[in-house]
Amino acid sequence: MHAVLVEPFTTPFMGRALVELLLLAALAGVVSTFVLIRRLGFVADTMTHTVFPGVVIGFLAGGTGGVFPGALVAAAVTAALLTLLTRSRRVTDDTALAVLLAAMFAVGVILVSRRSSYSADLTAFLFGRLLAVTATQLVQTAVVGAVVLLTLALLAKELRLRAFDPQSAAATGYRVWLLDLLLNMSVALVVVAAAQSVGTILVVALLVVPAATGRLLSDRLAVIAAVGVVAAAAAGYTGLVVSYQASVTYGTRLASGATVVLALVGLYLLALLVPPSRRLVGRLTRRRRLADAVA
Amino acid sequence: MADAGAALRIDRATVAYDGTPVLQDVNAQVQPGETVALIGPNGAGKSTLIKAVLGLVPVASGTITVLDRSPVAARRDVAYVPQADTLDPEFPISVAQVVLMGRYRRVGWLRRPGRTDRHIATEALDQVGLADRAKARFGTLSGGQRQRVLLARAIAQRPRLLLLDEPFNGVDALSQDALLTAIAALKQQGAAVVISTHDLTLAHLACDTACLLNGHMYGFGPVHDVLTPDLLRATYGSQALELRGDRVIVARP
Repeated sequence: MHAVLVEPFTTPFMGRALVELLLLAALAGVVSTFVLIRRLGFVADTMTHTVFPGVVIGFLAGGTGGVFPGALVAAAVTAALLTLLTRSRRVTDDTALAVLLAAMFAVGVILVSRRSSYSADLTAFLFGRLLAVTATQLVQTAVVGAVVLLTLALLAKELRLRAFDPQSAAATGYRVWLLDLLLNMSVALVVVAAAQSVGTILVVALLVVPAATGRLLSDRLAVIAAVGVVAAAAAGYTGLVVSYQASVTYGTRLASGATVVLALVGLYLLALLVPPSRRLVGRLTRRRRLADAVA
Repeated sequence: MADAGAALRIDRATVAYDGTPVLQDVNAQVQPGETVALIGPNGAGKSTLIKAVLGLVPVASGTITVLDRSPVAARRDVAYVPQADTLDPEFPISVAQVVLMGRYRRVGWLRRPGRTDRHIATEALDQVGLADRAKARFGTLSGGQRQRVLLARAIAQRPRLLLLDEPFNGVDALSQDALLTAIAALKQQGAAVVISTHDLTLAHLACDTACLLNGHMYGFGPVHDVLTPDLLRATYGSQALELRGDRVIVARP
């Protein structure tokens, strides 16, 4: 048992991959909660595609070391652009987002295609190289994660008000566009943090599924975020173990990033099976309502 | 001369959306403790006027003064109650958390509501008769109850001017009574209240003053002087139906 569940992580590359995924889990569990309440799923997906050309340009300009700054610049530009786009009422959000998504993705692909190692590079940028995570990348993920989590913790109540009742938020004097920009930046930073390990495409799973799982189990925001963190961490661990054992023991190569994503979706499906009456918070209020009904 | 100390003063105000005037030449004055009904058909500009008072829509000409300040500067002392059905019933938030939102501005950035804020929120919820539902998810309440929760949120804000957008739409009799009682209590404490509504009976019950709107102002003054068949017919045009010669029934949307 120990050999299956613990030993893989004594290898440095597996240990680093696990640490990276645990850092991302803490980040994604919280950020996905805000994505959920703001219904930013498609915006998040768009960001995964718009950060991609930044990753490519960074790599072309500065090799592996250029990827992080490249992604960072692309993230800042897209977050600002998306805040502007979603503010103007003249463009239907979905249409504008889809155009932006496709255009930026195409730019990225064209840039990669000019290289001789085209398909290998493309695969790395899109799906990440989880088992090649370096110590520098871990530090980058930790720093980005700390900045984002601190920002969201400090603005939690304002962001919730904005998500729930934007008109009242504006009426009481909050700058809604500023809150939107900060949240969009946070989402984009998750994409940046995960770009090299999980890849720019699969990261959308981290931005949506953890809180979606939490929402199935609870009505309370703090609980949703906590469940999201735990689910993402559990999926990270499980996915790594499964892909490692598949390749070492059974000689079947499973892409580790994709396996993690499938483990996460698996947890979501499991949560779907939990009947509403057994959910974490529903239980208390439901018992109460029953008592009300009987009285 | 307009006297100082009015809760709301509107002088020859014109409000426009994208260059098209929605409301023209509105004149009104609301004193502390006064309750005003905004009456007019759909699209008459009631919501626009409320937004202008909140400083969310700019005034094209004329002025709007709130508590002797500009609308934006007065926001801290103004509470707005949206229609409950404009809010997502699936949103993961409890009734108590919604009411506590009324305290956010006073709590300030970066800080969490404290014990006093919780106490004020609980009291506000009690005033609308829903103290026992504090822990329920907002979306599980009936439409009328949700509207009461939103009023409680406004009460927790301790406003000097309260603006309500169609608070009685689709609200059951019990919740209607609870809303009227809570509004009366606020008025008693000296708050000025502006209510947009289609319901003439409720306007009579809840308000001292009526303001008839449809693109421009058709009347402003004591309810009994303004809600007359002639003025209502003028305001509503073809949407007003006559009944037994002297009464007017206003067609609802």
